[in-house]
Amino acid sequence: MTISDEILMAYADGELDAAARAAVESAMREDPQIEKRVAAHRTLRRRMQAAYSVELSEGVPERLLRAARAGTSPPQARVVDLQDARAAMERAESRSRPRWPQWRIAGTIAASLIAGVGLGFFMWGQTQAPLMRSAGGALVARGQLAQALSKQLAAEQSRSSAVQIGVSFRAKSGDYCRTFALPGAVSPSGLACLHGEEWQVQTLTQEPGTVGGSGYRTAVSGMSELVLKSVEGQIDGEPLDQAAEKAARQRGWRSMDR
Amino acid sequence: MNTSETSQSIHEQIVTLLPRLRRFARNLTRNPHDADDVVQIAVERALTRLDQWRSDARLDGWMFKIVRNAWIDELRSRGRRAKIFLAAEAGEIVGTDSMARETELLSVQSAMARLPADQREAVSLVLVEGLPYREAAEVLDVPIGTLTSRLARGRQALQALLGTEGEDT
Repeated sequence: MTISDEILMAYADGELDAAARAAVESAMREDPQIEKRVAAHRTLRRRMQAAYSVELSEGVPERLLRAARAGTSPPQARVVDLQDARAAMERAESRSRPRWPQWRIAGTIAASLIAGVGLGFFMWGQTQAPLMRSAGGALVARGQLAQALSKQLAAEQSRSSAVQIGVSFRAKSGDYCRTFALPGAVSPSGLACLHGEEWQVQTLTQEPGTVGGSGYRTAVSGMSELVLKSVEGQIDGEPLDQAAEKAARQRGWRSMDR
Repeated sequence: MNTSETSQSIHEQIVTLLPRLRRFARNLTRNPHDADDVVQIAVERALTRLDQWRSDARLDGWMFKIVRNAWIDELRSRGRRAKIFLAAEAGEIVGTDSMARETELLSVQSAMARLPADQREAVSLVLVEGLPYREAAEVLDVPIGTLTSRLARGRQALQALLGTEGEDT
């Protein structure tokens, strides 16, 4: 009598009715191979549960607890609604704007990340001073970083460049913005927009590009989720292609209509 | 009175489920940031749709389904994100995945991350979250036979990746 692997699996998962269970059990008695296959299914099940039980004892972020308890105290307007209303006012064609809340709080996260990452950044900067905090409190690119943001084209840079430029785009504010990464041990990345004469760093993060240390890269590329979400929040239309990037540089990253 | 008491307890039931919702979402998205975003969206949606939850149904299954749908919506809206990523890839250093594949002893989580999405969902719901086949099929909106064949293939792949043969972990 042959028993399919799916039946053995269902047996190990406790999904069979009494008659089918009895059939499997008698087959197991007759054939040690079948017993072994059932044991393998059980081992895998135990192993999966053990490996994933740790996550259950992790603390849950406050924002999720708040979301779950929303409305139990007097109802408040949710951030999502406020933002949607604002977006609708900003521009009629914002219909395709993704409803993805994290980048809406990216500003807050960015501020704390700047605080956290900043130290390593400035220490790294002792020799090269890539960043400086301006009098107005904004983080402003200096030195090599500013140079790269103004001059370097993504298509022409070499992998050994001290600054790697990622995406360039026109923001809804009308400013041009570019993402950047500084390769190396600290490996911060961020988004800067040219405002007036200064490249203001909007988002700065330190993203190892791997999850849980298990060695696979974040969803699609090494680009930080946080930076990506800032881009999504600010981009007007599509990222610049090679030709548009070059043209924008020639104009000194000034908009044509301003 | 009665309804507000009921909904009050549902809020706390959802709070209790949060660790499992996050775990399931991580298995779906393979990214902890995405997972928390998707859980937040799902919780907000669930609370506006409490009237659609049949109180005789399992709350966990219903919530898993909302989490999964929120993730599907997000993936759809990523058409544009993909373009941004592609532009960013220009200056991107390619990962050392094949090297890691050879030297790294695969952990359960990284083996899971390698499964195709449909198998990963089935394995996650049944083996990790402990849902019966019927409930898992319901979450995924597939016939039970589809669920079991995905589960069987997922298990086979995991056993190949993890080498469970004769191990006592």
